[in-house]
Amino acid sequence: MQLTDNAPGLKKMKLLVCVKQVMESGSIIQINDSKKWIDHLASNRFEMNKFDAYAVEEALLIKEQFPDSRIDIITVGPDHAKETLRRALGMGADEGILLADNHKGYRPPFRTATWIAAYARDKDYDLILTGIMSEDEMNGQTGPMLAEILLVPCCTGTIRETLSPDKKTVSVEREIEGGARDMFDIKLPCVLTLQTGINSPRYPALSKVLRAKKKKMNVIDVNFLEKNKQTLTLKNIQHPKKTRKGILLNGTTEGKVDQLMDILSKKALLQ
Amino acid sequence: MGKKIAIIAEHGNGKVKPITYELYTMVKKIQELSPFKYEIQFFILGQDTELLAHSISANTGENTHSVNIPGVAHYNGSLYKRILSALFTKEKFDTICAPHSTSGMDYAPALAVILKGACITGVEEVRQEEGDIGFVRSLFGQKISATLVGEACPLVLTLQPGSFKPNSLKLDSPDKKNKGRVEKVVHQCNEDKMVFTGTRPSASKGSNLDKADVIVSGGRGIEEEENYQYIEMLAALFPRSATGGSRPICDYGWVKYSKQVGMTGTMVSPKLYIACGISGATQHVEAIRDAKFIVAINTDPDAPVFRIADVCIIADLTDFIPLFVEKFNRKKKAKNE
Repeated sequence: MQLTDNAPGLKKMKLLVCVKQVMESGSIIQINDSKKWIDHLASNRFEMNKFDAYAVEEALLIKEQFPDSRIDIITVGPDHAKETLRRALGMGADEGILLADNHKGYRPPFRTATWIAAYARDKDYDLILTGIMSEDEMNGQTGPMLAEILLVPCCTGTIRETLSPDKKTVSVEREIEGGARDMFDIKLPCVLTLQTGINSPRYPALSKVLRAKKKKMNVIDVNFLEKNKQTLTLKNIQHPKKTRKGILLNGTTEGKVDQLMDILSKKALLQ
Repeated sequence: MGKKIAIIAEHGNGKVKPITYELYTMVKKIQELSPFKYEIQFFILGQDTELLAHSISANTGENTHSVNIPGVAHYNGSLYKRILSALFTKEKFDTICAPHSTSGMDYAPALAVILKGACITGVEEVRQEEGDIGFVRSLFGQKISATLVGEACPLVLTLQPGSFKPNSLKLDSPDKKNKGRVEKVVHQCNEDKMVFTGTRPSASKGSNLDKADVIVSGGRGIEEEENYQYIEMLAALFPRSATGGSRPICDYGWVKYSKQVGMTGTMVSPKLYIACGISGATQHVEAIRDAKFIVAINTDPDAPVFRIADVCIIADLTDFIPLFVEKFNRKKKAKNE
C-alpha cells in the first residue's frame, strides 16, 4: 500500500470491514441429525476467517496514512462471533457491529449481504473491505453481492490498492489466472475483496485487546433488519465419498520409503 | 414447457478456453436429469469475438451470441455486469452458467442480485434432487459436500474447472450441418466508475516450473519455513527438477511467488509431482491436473489431495523425506561401488 500526503480539509474516511467467524482449520466436522448442517461440538474453536484478516490489516494501513479515518468491523453470526470483532478491535479497529443471527444452519451469502447492506446503506462508508472468500464455505459471494445491493463498484481478488490523495478514487490491481494483474481506477465508494498476500496481518496488541474487552459492541438483531427472500435451499450435506484413484502405501515409514522408491524406479522417474 | 440455459463462454489469447466446453457438458447433464426441454445459448463477450463465436457454434451446434464491446480487450467487472444484466433482462433465462474463474466469480454474484435470482458458486456436480436439479459444491475445506437448489430465477452458477470433462464433443471435426446460428451484437459502453488502466505480468513469469520434469512442492503442512529444506532436499535427487509451493506458503513469505503452483501462479504438467504437506485446495489441484504422476505426502488421511494422487503416503514429511534421501543415497553408493 502506498498513499500520498493527506490533503487537509477533506472529509474523514469511513471504512467498513466485513469479517466472518469460522471454525479453526483442522476442526472435526460432524454432520447433525437433520443432515442439513453440522454440529457445533464443545471441542470446536472459532477464529477470524484468515482471508478477512487481510481486510482488517489493509484498513489499518489506510488509517496509518489517513489517521482521522474510522474503521468499523461488522459480522453476521451468533453471540460468540463477538470474539472475532474483539480480535479486530485488538488489531486496531474502532467499532464492532454484530448483526446477531442465532439461526443454526446454512445461511446463503445473499442473506448475509442483504443484512450488511441494510446496516451500511445510510452510513456513508467510503470503502468496504472484506476477504476474497470465507475459509469454510468459499462462496466468494458476500462482497460482490453487497456491492451490487448498495449499487457501488466492486473489485474482487484485489492484490494491491492505493487511494488517491483526494480520497475520491482507489487504484487497484486484481489478480487473474496465472498471477497476472489487471489494473483499474475505481471511484469511491466501492467494495474491494482482498486476495491473500496483499499484506501481513498483524497480531492484536495487548493494550488494545484489553481495551477491546471492555468495549461495548453494537449488537443488532437481524430480525429487525429487512427481510430477504429465500434464494437457495440447502437440501443435504454429506461427507464426500473417499474416492482414491491411486494407491495408499501401508506399513512403517521405512516400508513406505522403500515402496515409493520401488514405484518411482519402475516408472523410470528415479534412477 | 421449455427452459432456457445461457452459457457465458470464457476466452483468452484469441482462444475459447476449455471451461466453456466443460460448462456445455454440465448443461447436457442438466438436460439429461430434467424432464424439461432445454434451449441452450452461448454468449461470448469482448473484443473480436466473432470468430470465436463461430467456433463455439460449430463445435456445439448451439446458437451463439457474439457480444462485441469495441475497445474492451480486458475484463472489466462494472462493464460486464452492466452488459450481461442488459442481455439477460432482454431475454430471460432459467439458468445462467459461468466459469468459476477470476472473472466469473467477480460478475456471477452481482448478476444474480441484479436479476433478482440465486447464485451458486464453485459447482462440482449436478444431481437429481427430489424432482429438482441439485448442484453439488464443497464446504469446510472439501470435507463436506452440499447439495443446493435454486429457489429464485434465474439461477446463476459458476462451474469449478475440471469437474466435467468435455469428452463427448467432436471439437476438431465441426459438423457443418449442425452449426448453430451466430448472432452479432455490438455494445458501445462507457464506464467511468471503474476504468481499466493496464496489466502487469505475473510474478511467476520466468520460473522454471513449467519446464521441469519433476516438481516437489510444499504446503502449509511443512509447518515452518525451515522445513522447506526438506522439499529442496527431495527435489535435488531428481534431474531436471524444480521446487514449488502452495499459495499459503507464498503468502507467508516462506518462498517467492514465482514458485507458486496454482491457478493464480503457474499451471504445471511435469512427469512427476510430489505434493508435500499440501491439503489439495481446488486452486492447487486444478493447476496440477496435467501432471502425469502425482505422489502426495500428508499427515491428514482425509486431505483432499489424496483423492487425486496416484500414490498416497500418510506420513510426516520431516521423517519421511530425510529417510528417503538417505536410503536413496545409500542405494546409489552401493550401485556405484
